[in-house]
Amino acid sequence: MAEEFPVEIGVVYEGERIRKQDMQVELGGTKVDYKAELVQCRKVDEIEDGKVIIKGRDLQAMEEGGQYPLVILVEVAGEQVEKDLEAVIERRIHDFSNYIEGFMHVNQRYDIWCRLSKKSFQKGFNSFTYLGQALIKLFKAELPIIEKIQITILTEEEDVKPFEEEARKIYEARDARARDLSDDDVDEFYGCVLCQSFAPTHVCAITPDRISLCGAINWFDGRAAARVDPKGPNFKIEKGELIDKEKFEYTGINEMVKEKSLGENQRFWLHTMFGNPHTSCGCFEAIAFFIPEVEGIGICHRNYRGETVIGVPFSTLATQTGGGKQLDGFLGIAIEYMRSPKFFATDGGWNRIVWMPKFIKEQVRDAIPEHLYDKIATEEITTDINELKQFLDQQDHPVKERWIEEAVIEADELEVIPLDQAFAGTRLILKNARIHADKVIIRRK
Amino acid sequence: MHAFAISGKGGTGKTILSAMIVRELVKRGLVLAIDADPDSNLPEILGVEANGTVGDIREELLEKKYSLSPEYTKDVWLEGKTYEILSENDGFDLIVMGRPEGPECYCMVNNLLRRIMDILTENYDYTVIDSEAGLEHISRRTTIDVQDMIVVTDGSQQSFDTAVRIKRLSEQLKARFDHLYVVINDTKNHPVDIEQVKRTGLSFLGSIPYDPEIEKACFEGVPLPEQSQAGEAVHHLLEKIL
Repeated sequence: MAEEFPVEIGVVYEGERIRKQDMQVELGGTKVDYKAELVQCRKVDEIEDGKVIIKGRDLQAMEEGGQYPLVILVEVAGEQVEKDLEAVIERRIHDFSNYIEGFMHVNQRYDIWCRLSKKSFQKGFNSFTYLGQALIKLFKAELPIIEKIQITILTEEEDVKPFEEEARKIYEARDARARDLSDDDVDEFYGCVLCQSFAPTHVCAITPDRISLCGAINWFDGRAAARVDPKGPNFKIEKGELIDKEKFEYTGINEMVKEKSLGENQRFWLHTMFGNPHTSCGCFEAIAFFIPEVEGIGICHRNYRGETVIGVPFSTLATQTGGGKQLDGFLGIAIEYMRSPKFFATDGGWNRIVWMPKFIKEQVRDAIPEHLYDKIATEEITTDINELKQFLDQQDHPVKERWIEEAVIEADELEVIPLDQAFAGTRLILKNARIHADKVIIRRK
Repeated sequence: MHAFAISGKGGTGKTILSAMIVRELVKRGLVLAIDADPDSNLPEILGVEANGTVGDIREELLEKKYSLSPEYTKDVWLEGKTYEILSENDGFDLIVMGRPEGPECYCMVNNLLRRIMDILTENYDYTVIDSEAGLEHISRRTTIDVQDMIVVTDGSQQSFDTAVRIKRLSEQLKARFDHLYVVINDTKNHPVDIEQVKRTGLSFLGSIPYDPEIEKACFEGVPLPEQSQAGEAVHHLLEKIL
């Protein structure tokens, strides 16, 4: 095939743009109503390896400068080819078709937009057979798990329209699955150091259940960026071992944090704001802050102009929180993180949230457990900490469970003697105790 | 790809000079014109239509960041939109940067844009950037790799002061361009004062004579004439560089 192929194929052609003035035909794009590309996994005996099927007008029959509907259907089979890989394989149509000299491919799914150059058409690229052949060759070379591959090209609206309608259902089903993806379902997380120009020790750990603090990079974006430029600001993190199920501590995350924070931080617990929390950059969408008086967590977003329930505005909180340091009880978050099933899971999740501006409360209404919605205060209810406590008490907010057995022992000096001698046969339990000491002296007997 | 950036104090004629440089370069190869002035009018001066701005699609992406389908990743979306707003014309394409950034985080979107612009500009022989009046494009290093930075002055002391500030700032920031030139855009009443140019310490590329045809086009709000005395002068300036 290589000898008779009319144009060259290679990575050098990636990024080659075909201008309107230089194009033979345009396929898909905004001026065409129907277009789609789809990868489907088949059983080995369902497809014929290497076959290219063209239904409808072929390239040589298309008017110069014309616009036409297009379907690229790639059917693949192989022992290791699973349904879950369809979207990943589908994305490669973009890469591989752009390797073809004089062929431009933009967008994906129901938005595809392709152009063929006059030059490549004149060189003999006058049939979709060549597109199919090139894709088959590249897919097999780059993804060896594909044992069989068959390609179908449709160019008539009567075929493309119903195909797109069916394909949309498949994309939707895939999206639903993708939205349900959790940290436990994947082997790789992604990291982002885009904000290190502002916060040199900050790194974002991006997982299916934890979007970047700016809210702009989800796990899928991280994966796409890391594939395009593995040494760039978004990179792959091998998840490693889950060493603490309660705190969501992974060996892979810890290694990455050590390296990317330049040794400043050693470990991240993914879904908590205490102990070894994630760091905060400077461009987080919101801040979660611990309110010790009520044992609860408040949240404030960037565009909230007033004072929070702890008496300071967002800007003051932001100065304290940002900068790439691990801070107990202060954490930058994305608003979307509030929709995560693991939203502060270690700390009690929504049961711990006591205050947030009305604006975001409405925005994330769908994520707040129904029985809690009215129990969470907003600035309309109060911005005073004592009133907040009364409100939570009246509303019977679940955070109240953390208030009981509160006792204060004040002493100028308290001598603690090893248990076996002093309290033989008794047990001392301190719940929610906060111990403050100016000096601790440990003496050998 | 050879990139020119046109900068200088507001009102000195950056956009007119940018348009004339585009007109001239089209004779030599394929040109990408970038209107990087938020108060843009390069399309009108070149007599072409803009299809939207990078600023608009950047905002649209940030607004849609939670509603895009998870597997329709933002890099793909943004690349497609950037190509859609590119205005394709005979000999040159035009892209308008549009509105400046708002209060949100632009790290992600600007990172994606840098890559898209790097790939896009590789498709052209020349890139001409009509910069905004301020110095922000230099201080934030948002400009793509530029070989020749041309500072336009109108002969006024203030416009020379701006040229000096641009020089100083670019040295401090180790900005990414090879040459820094100053061009004088003549007004009717003030002949060129070479001494004033020398004091700036920038290389003097030349001056553009006052041209009533250009002035007329500006006042009428119509595209620049294809042939003009000023255009002829720009031709000679570029001969010196290229």
